[in-house]
Amino acid sequence: MSKVQFQTEEELLTAISRGDERAIGITYKTYFPMVLHFVTHNSGSEQEAKDIYQEAIVILYENAQKPGFELSCKIKTYIYSVCRRLWLKRLTQRNRYVGKIEDFESFIPFVREDADVEEREEQFQAMHESLGQLGEPCRTILEDFFIHDFSMQQITEKMGYTNTDNAKNQKYKCLIRLKKLFFSRYQG
Amino acid sequence: MITKELHEKMEAYVAGQLSAAEAGAFASQLLGDAQLAEQVRQYRLLADSFTVYGKRVELKKQLDGFHQEWKDESRDRPFIRTYGVRKFWRSHMGTVAVAASVAVVTVLGTVLITNYLRSLEHRQVNYYAELKKENNRIKKTLDAISTSIQQDDKRASYSASATGFMIAANGYIVTNRHVVNGADSVYVEAVDETDTKRRYKAKLIYVDPDPSVDLAMLKITDSTFRPLKYMPYALQTREADLGEKVYTLAYPREDMVFGEGSVSSHTGYEGDTSKYQVSIPVNPGNSGAPLLDEKGNLIGIVTAKNMNEESAAFAIKSKHLLTLIGSIPADSLPEPIITPRKNYMHYMRRPDQIKKLQGLVFNVKVYNSEK
Repeated sequence: MSKVQFQTEEELLTAISRGDERAIGITYKTYFPMVLHFVTHNSGSEQEAKDIYQEAIVILYENAQKPGFELSCKIKTYIYSVCRRLWLKRLTQRNRYVGKIEDFESFIPFVREDADVEEREEQFQAMHESLGQLGEPCRTILEDFFIHDFSMQQITEKMGYTNTDNAKNQKYKCLIRLKKLFFSRYQG
Repeated sequence: MITKELHEKMEAYVAGQLSAAEAGAFASQLLGDAQLAEQVRQYRLLADSFTVYGKRVELKKQLDGFHQEWKDESRDRPFIRTYGVRKFWRSHMGTVAVAASVAVVTVLGTVLITNYLRSLEHRQVNYYAELKKENNRIKKTLDAISTSIQQDDKRASYSASATGFMIAANGYIVTNRHVVNGADSVYVEAVDETDTKRRYKAKLIYVDPDPSVDLAMLKITDSTFRPLKYMPYALQTREADLGEKVYTLAYPREDMVFGEGSVSSHTGYEGDTSKYQVSIPVNPGNSGAPLLDEKGNLIGIVTAKNMNEESAAFAIKSKHLLTLIGSIPADSLPEPIITPRKNYMHYMRRPDQIKKLQGLVFNVKVYNSEK
């Protein structure tokens, strides 16, 4: 495994924003030890390190997809800073924060992006819970429609409906229910 | 709540599947209908959230895969092993530093306090020793006073008085032969640097066999005499130049007298080459006095005076003193004579030189039984 294919950080970042599996893999494996070290030295476990690290990678990935996103520092510093922030938040939530964080890297403070990240996290949680309550077959139908971009024809075939209208009807009902569930959790 | 048909139209509008004309119509409908606009907004939010959610779930799955890969790879990475030590050091460095500094402070503190207590004890012992010394000193002074009272009684009967000076730190004194000739006993007196008068008994050691050289060697035999640490003046073997400034210290009476002049001739009375003629006012009793140049080098020994001339005295050249010392058979000496070679008064002012010398210039008192 090497970074040879990605000469510069920009190239790597572009590849990540494209969703390039190899680029994400390389990034993930390169910086995980750093975060693991940081978390385990600030009263965390390996599992917790993994959680916040993955969260940070998701944030990097999502941010990289925004048009006009520019990294003002190295990817390494960005990941470290995000992880540091997340970990601090988590410690505070659990009343385990003792007022001192041991640092091993330089980091940049986040102010502006924070609200945005939090909102997305809320949406994610709301969606996660709503889908959990939604039940089958609604969940599969909606997932196929929104995530996998299936056409109504494909859905009809997959789910075994007699015609597309039935499928559409079903999807419409499901959507109304999801909407209710989602907006009862998330005040958009 | 909106109808299914409207909803489907909305979905198509959001997904961008409507034709341009239909989209325009729907957009204008939105402007007029706030409720519909809210529905569209909510639908958009829902759809976006759903997409984001889907992507995240997928990404997380991917990341879990990478994590597993990383775990498999890291199992046989060598630095993992050293990690433990570094981890320990990083997390306990502060504690270790505090412990170390506490240890250092404790050790130093203990050592210092112990030393201080010990020095207190030592000081007390010292005080005690000093008191004892003081006591002894007082006792000695009393003894000295009582003996000097006794000696003072004898002093009245000396038959001749002249000058002599110490030539070696262990108590050898040079004077003129004519001073000590036929003496029964000889005492020497000097005022030392602390202005205390010292009186010692001395013994005639040697007389120059050459009758023309008027020199004799005495040695202090008194038990109260302590040898000097060093001799401040040096013995000059080079012949002095004419006109060189010289001075002398002598006891023509009970107190020391300083005389100053210069070398006026290389020869003495009637061309005697062993002597200088010096222009110093001398008196009887000056015999045996040291003649020193300005820097404090001994260049001669005052020996006689020309009765016919004013302020003309003669001094035996210092090299004859060396000859005398060399000619003394070693077995007649209780201790070897070490002649002074180094001049410590080189740069001193004359009063300071004299202060240094006054303890070395003696009033030689000769007692003779036949009056």
